[in-house]
Amino acid sequence: MKTYGDIPGDAGSDVLGQVNAQQERLRARMAKIHAKVAVLSGKGGVGKSVIVANLAAAFAKGGLRVGVLDADINGPSLGKMLGVRGQRLAFETAGVQPALGPLGIRVLSMDLFLPSDETPVLWTGPTEGGGYLWRGAMETATLREFLADTEWGELDLLLLDLPPGTDRIPSLLSLLPELHGIVIVTLPSQVSQLIVAKSVTVAKEIVKAPVLGLIENMAAHRCAHCGAEEPLFAGEDSARMAERLAIPFLGRVPFDPVLTRCADEGTPVLLSCPTAPAAEALSRIAARIGEALRLAPALAEAKENP
Amino acid sequence: MKFLCVPCDVPMKITETKGPEEGSLTLVFGCPTCRRQVALLTNPMETQMVRSLDVKIGGQQAPHDPMAFVRSSLAVKREEVPSPNELSSAGSGCPFTSIANSAFERQGSMGGVIWSEEAAERLNNIPGFVRSWAQKGIEQYAQEKGYEKITVEVMEEARQRFGM
Repeated sequence: MKTYGDIPGDAGSDVLGQVNAQQERLRARMAKIHAKVAVLSGKGGVGKSVIVANLAAAFAKGGLRVGVLDADINGPSLGKMLGVRGQRLAFETAGVQPALGPLGIRVLSMDLFLPSDETPVLWTGPTEGGGYLWRGAMETATLREFLADTEWGELDLLLLDLPPGTDRIPSLLSLLPELHGIVIVTLPSQVSQLIVAKSVTVAKEIVKAPVLGLIENMAAHRCAHCGAEEPLFAGEDSARMAERLAIPFLGRVPFDPVLTRCADEGTPVLLSCPTAPAAEALSRIAARIGEALRLAPALAEAKENP
Repeated sequence: MKFLCVPCDVPMKITETKGPEEGSLTLVFGCPTCRRQVALLTNPMETQMVRSLDVKIGGQQAPHDPMAFVRSSLAVKREEVPSPNELSSAGSGCPFTSIANSAFERQGSMGGVIWSEEAAERLNNIPGFVRSWAQKGIEQYAQEKGYEKITVEVMEEARQRFGM
C-alpha cells in the first residue's frame, strides 16, 4: 500500500503551490524597494510608532521615496500620526494604492480599513471560540497581504512598525528574509530594558537578523522654564546597554510634549517643529540609520534632483 | 492531507466541496479507478484554521485578487472597501468565500480546471469589461480539451481558437 511520500501532490488543492505563489508575489513587490527596516521593541508603549512616523519624515525630507507599513494590525496608530485616516484606499487589480502622507510618504495601515474610531479589528468566521489558536495566523496572512498587495512602487525605504512582542521578529523574517535591518526602541526604564534585551537576543542570536541599533525614547524631560533636564526613569544607561548587548547605539530622543502633540495632529514634529530638541535628535538618528543602510547615494541623488 | 483508496492503492482526488455551513466544510474525495467516494467533514475550528492560511481548498482557480483575504475576513470595514469579488470577475459573493468557498463552489466534478499563477496574472491584464467573458471562454476550452490546469500555453491555444 502506498504511503504519504509515494503520492505526489495533495489531491488537487496544491496548497504548497499556492503558498509558493504568495511568496513569489511578495518577492516581486519587495524587489522594487531598496531597503526594508523594521522598528520594534518587544515592549508596548515605548513610542515606536511616533519614532517611525518621524524617521519616515526625516528620510522623505531628504528626498527619499519612503513607505510606512503599520504592522500593528490590532492597534494601528500610524494613520493618525501621519494624518491619512480620512483618505480612501484605491483598490485596483494590480494592487491597492496606499494613502499619501506628508512629503508623499506612502502609508498602509489597518486603520484605513476600519470605519470608525471605535471599531476594533474583528474577523468573520464560523467561530470566535478558540480564537487564540487561529488569530495569529490571520494576522500573519494580513501582514503578508499588506506587504505584497500594496502598490508601493519604487521605494528607497520601507519602514515597518511592529507591534509589541518578541515573537514578531521570527514571524516577520519568515515573510521578509531579505530584511535589511532592525531598529530597537527602549525606554530608559528597567522594565522596558528587561523586555527589550530579550528582543535583541531573538534578533541577534535566534534569527540572526541585522540589528541597526538601539534608540532610547523619553530619555529625559527638559523643564520649560529653566531648561534643566531631569531623567524620567531610573534604568541602565541605554548607551551602556547597547554596548553590553554589542549593538550600535543610535541616540536618545528626549521626552517632549511637542512630539506627542504633533502626533495627535497628524504631522511629524520633524516637519512642524524642526528645531524642537526631539526633532533634532530624530534627525541625527535618521542620519545614522541612513549611513548604516548606505542610503547616502540615494540622499545625494535626491538633493541633486529635487 | 492525502486520501488513498486502499483496494485500488490509488490516491483519491477532490471531486466536490460544499459549505461552509454552520462552520463546517464538506470535501468529497473520489477514487479515479473504482469511483468510490468518501467525505471529509471539518469542524468549525478546522475550517477556521484552513481559512487563516489563505489557501483555497480545491486549488487556486481565480486570478489573484489584491487584499482579498483582508477584505473577506474583516467583520466590519469601511464602505468603500470592496468585497473580494468586486475587483476580479471571479468569486461567489459570500464574504467568507475568497479564502475557501470560491474554490469549493467551482469544483463540481473531478478534473475541474485551475489557473496557474502566470496564467492568472495574464488574465488580470485583460481589460475588465471583457475579462469575465474571456475567463469563461478559456475555462470552457480547457474543460473541452481535458486540461486540469490553465497555463499561459493553454490561454494561447484558446486565443488562437477563438481569435481573441
